[in-house]
Amino acid sequence: MSYEIKKAAIIGAGVMGATIAAHLANAGIESVMLDIVPPFDPSEADLKKGLTKESKAWRNSFAVNGLNGAVKSRPASFYSKKNASMVSIGNLEDNLDMLKDVDFILEVVIENLKIKQELFAKLEKVIKPDCIVATNTSGLPIREISEKMSAKNKERFLGVHFFNPPRYMKLVEVIPGETTKKEIVDYMTYFLENVVGKGVVICKDVPNFIANRIGTYDISNAVRTMLDKGLTIPELDAIIAKVLGRPGSAICGTIDLVGIDTGYHVMKNLVEAVPNDEMVKTFIPPEFMDKMLENKWLGNKTKQGFYKKTKDEKGKRVKLALDYNTMEYVPFTKPRYESVKEAGKTEGGFDDKLKALFYSEKDIAGEVVREYLCKNFIYSANRIPEICDTVYQVDNTMKWGYNHKKGPFETWDAVGVKESVEVMKTLKLKVPKKITEMLKKGCESFYTKKEDGKYYYDFDKKGYVKMEDNPKIILLPDLKAKNKVIKENAGASLVDIGDGVVCLEFRTKMNAIDGDVISMIEDSCDIVEKDFAGMVVANHGTNFSVGANIFQVLMAVQNAEWDMLDKLIHDLQYALMKMKYLEKPVVTAPAGMALGGGCEISMHGQRCQPCGETYMGLVEVGVGVIPAGGGCKELMVRCTEGLPDGIGAVLNMQPIYEKVLMNIGQAKVATSAMEAMELGYIRKTENISLNRDHQIWDAKELVLGMAKTHKKKKPDMIPVMGENLMGIARAVLFNMKHGNYMSDYDEHVTMKLAWILSGGQCLEGTFVTEDAILDREREAFLSLAGEQKTQDRIMHMLTRGKPLRN
Amino acid sequence: MSEAVIVETVRSPGGRYRRGALAQTRGDEIGIQVLKGLMKRVPQIKPEDVDDVICGCSFPEAEQGMNLGRVIALGAGLPITTSGMVVNRFCSSGLQAIADATAKIMAGWSDCIVAGGCESMSHIPMGGWIFRPHPEWGDRPMTYVSMGITAENVAADYNITREDQDKMGVESNRRAHEAIQKGLWKDQIIPIEAWKYGKDKNGQWVKTTKTFDMDDGVRWPATLENMAKLKSPFKQGGSATAANSSQMTDGAAFTMLMSAEKAKELKLKPIAKLTHYAVAGNKPEEMGVGPRYAIPKVLKLAGLKLDDIDLFEINEAFAAQAIYSCRELGIEDRYWKGEVNPNGGAIAIGHPLGCTGAKLTCQLLNELKRRKLKRGIVSMCIGGGMGAAGIYEML
Repeated sequence: MSYEIKKAAIIGAGVMGATIAAHLANAGIESVMLDIVPPFDPSEADLKKGLTKESKAWRNSFAVNGLNGAVKSRPASFYSKKNASMVSIGNLEDNLDMLKDVDFILEVVIENLKIKQELFAKLEKVIKPDCIVATNTSGLPIREISEKMSAKNKERFLGVHFFNPPRYMKLVEVIPGETTKKEIVDYMTYFLENVVGKGVVICKDVPNFIANRIGTYDISNAVRTMLDKGLTIPELDAIIAKVLGRPGSAICGTIDLVGIDTGYHVMKNLVEAVPNDEMVKTFIPPEFMDKMLENKWLGNKTKQGFYKKTKDEKGKRVKLALDYNTMEYVPFTKPRYESVKEAGKTEGGFDDKLKALFYSEKDIAGEVVREYLCKNFIYSANRIPEICDTVYQVDNTMKWGYNHKKGPFETWDAVGVKESVEVMKTLKLKVPKKITEMLKKGCESFYTKKEDGKYYYDFDKKGYVKMEDNPKIILLPDLKAKNKVIKENAGASLVDIGDGVVCLEFRTKMNAIDGDVISMIEDSCDIVEKDFAGMVVANHGTNFSVGANIFQVLMAVQNAEWDMLDKLIHDLQYALMKMKYLEKPVVTAPAGMALGGGCEISMHGQRCQPCGETYMGLVEVGVGVIPAGGGCKELMVRCTEGLPDGIGAVLNMQPIYEKVLMNIGQAKVATSAMEAMELGYIRKTENISLNRDHQIWDAKELVLGMAKTHKKKKPDMIPVMGENLMGIARAVLFNMKHGNYMSDYDEHVTMKLAWILSGGQCLEGTFVTEDAILDREREAFLSLAGEQKTQDRIMHMLTRGKPLRN
Repeated sequence: MSEAVIVETVRSPGGRYRRGALAQTRGDEIGIQVLKGLMKRVPQIKPEDVDDVICGCSFPEAEQGMNLGRVIALGAGLPITTSGMVVNRFCSSGLQAIADATAKIMAGWSDCIVAGGCESMSHIPMGGWIFRPHPEWGDRPMTYVSMGITAENVAADYNITREDQDKMGVESNRRAHEAIQKGLWKDQIIPIEAWKYGKDKNGQWVKTTKTFDMDDGVRWPATLENMAKLKSPFKQGGSATAANSSQMTDGAAFTMLMSAEKAKELKLKPIAKLTHYAVAGNKPEEMGVGPRYAIPKVLKLAGLKLDDIDLFEINEAFAAQAIYSCRELGIEDRYWKGEVNPNGGAIAIGHPLGCTGAKLTCQLLNELKRRKLKRGIVSMCIGGGMGAAGIYEML
């Protein structure tokens, strides 16, 4: 039997339920979201608003509030607020019929076994016989939740555990029940990975599954270590931090974010749920946390937890940290550790820095890290096969669900398994038998690479087992290791990704665009035209590209190397135009930030295959210049293309060009690929890759499809407003300036932009060539670069990392 | 010279911008219905008696284009022999139309004219759909300055406090609310069969109509505390807000004018006459001060003093400029006595640009009649930097 989820239902419109519905909408899945009818009477205020116990608005109010919350949530849950219309709402008493045609139903209600069981008994009566049924429980046993279900329904029942916030957290734990059909588990994995864009880890039906078992231990262990070593809260957070590959909020900051109460109850529950766990005592919350709970110091939601942000008498913002001995808040000072500092400066990659800290004898930080990590390692090893069978499952959950840079076994590999076992012995920690066994067999790491791929050490098979390749995951470093590099320089490489398609990858810092990158774009075009079917422009960086290397620009300006700067811009324009009009298809695949030049490159592909999480914008005015790599030109093309012949010349293009002027003039950045479409940076006809791991594959498939019929594009002609746009811009900017919405210099820069967009001293409705606009971009860029205030802006950005409004 | 008299004056209710009852009705349709209503009020006048229709409109384009005066005349069933025209002096257009009609009749060039104004702000944005400022006027951009900025300029340059502006905001709404409660406007309003587009039971888009008979912009109860929470949309840190500025509104208003002889012939009792009218120019960037110059100018023409005027309708484009104008003229106390904008103003029931002068005329004449008073002034500031004022005398 085959399954296909076209319509889903979410039961329970709390934060988690509503934001899951939001992300399903992002994935193009319509859903029904139901919650209970409020179990209390409308208040006076409600009655005044015309709400009664019988009114629909009142009966649906939980679901309505949930959806509104998701629309307003920050960071945004929806790619675009427009997606909210894909979620229909109702209540569990009046609207059960809305469930009759859904293909998938996910329960996200309160963690109470009886309530869940009763709910499923109710749902069973209305759903389709092939509807997949799931619970988003974070800890209750799947076995018990489904206890009272019919055998038929149990076959279609499983745990599908999203992490908060679902749009941004990659992990989904899938927990099959004892009799769940394999085809259901397989389909859900496919659906979650390919449609919803998540990373799936299959878990066993044990308390807290994988992530929250290992994760809770990780946090409890850190807090215990803090108490044992007499560290302060800020001290702990300074050590278990970036060098260990932890998120910026570290340990205590993360608990503040999640809520002390939530963390506390997860710990408490584990004490009861896993009484035979050898480390069960670690889960007992320390006494000071009892007091925090009593005082309702629950973290960010009550404005104080481990930390408290407040204002002093002068109104200056101050950060305080809890002294858990006195239970008083004391001023926060950032602790400094020589060992941490040195580790950060250690040559090499993440592993080298971590290793340096792990073995450091400089101060207490090394000691803390050793003890904390060793305990983590041992605990994780002891959980196999209790919670899952492989090391990579544990690693994936911690990376995808807890934002750790590396999972415990990968971290263990980084510090060296053999050496760390010696450390464990000196710390008098019990080294798991399976680890000594592994070392005895000569296997000194959990992961290893061989000719034919990546292997992991399997405790059960007592040897390395090959990890399954996913053909949809194209990893450029792996291909490079296999000599698939066609050409490379210091800034970029061209990699053969198979089937006649190449991938142009940037590799500068933050993927900034410099001379090397530009020349590589040009060279790549030549190579592709001659020898390949087409090209993908993509990389694995956090950010596709943050734009031009402004340091290089500033140096050129300060040395008055105007010809050089002119050539640099000219080269970029030339390279991008070459890409746009290549005889072979070029697909750009932006993800993360694609700003300034990065946005321009994305826009010059013949097609674009963005990742859902693409943050795109032409932000040049922030440093006092305007897009000069064809960004203005291309946005003009995008916003005026598709008009039937004869329309452009007579159309009132005022709203169109005002939009272009404001997008660039106010440096508007889209916060998703969908928003980038709304702003005009990406064509609305493009598809979005929700799963970034699959993005290069998606783009490659697009190239291959295009290659079959591809013809070189006819040059674009752009309808412009001529001088009339200058008049409009001047009037609009005048008001903005007088309303204090922009400075004199903002106005000056934006007028330069208007000068470009006007297209020349011509009549409204004239069509101009792309080259005409590119020339104006270059001229305006150079003239602005020569101005002191622009240079001040660039300098400010380089030194402070944020724009200067001068 | 003939005497030009007003025999009837009516208006549509004001519908709030985009959310009000007239938001989906075409501008010309509102005008047509008001003119039809006016004709019904004076059955003594046969359609062919009306010589001309002069319609004020600030943005005469799109649905208000194609010579709105002629469109409305024909649309209301006047014969092809009745001519029509549009006048535009922005916010004074409606008053300008009545002034022009008066002058024409006095000159003996015409003996019966319908004059007034019509504007759908919901459909035609301020500035019009096609805004094309002169590209070479880099040094004279003030010509096109936004009205909000001019209000901020007046507030800042003449120290009109936020509190004073908000006080007028509350008072305007209070007066309008009271007027509606007392039913003071019932007689002057021509109900409109407003258009509404929506989906029917089958999900098909269809047009329906609904009768709309009272201004829908009044915000009551309004409090200073709530008003103080609003921010200026025009200027960061500014003081002109949505609650102390005029509302954008849709509406139409028309007045029937004729020579005294013609009125006598038709046995119609004249209500009033526009005795004097003046327009004065001032700085575009503080356009709101206009009434402060126009009122003295028209009084001088008439040889009258402020004390000779019983009631004023000074358009509340923005509380800042209305307060400034009253203060400079020395009639701020008369505002609080209820002699200026006695039933509230544009802050409460809106400012449908080209219609406003005609609408205020209708309100003023009805109030003078109700209070049995003699003389009143309608005045307003005008975009681009002008003020207009007209003196009405009851007959």
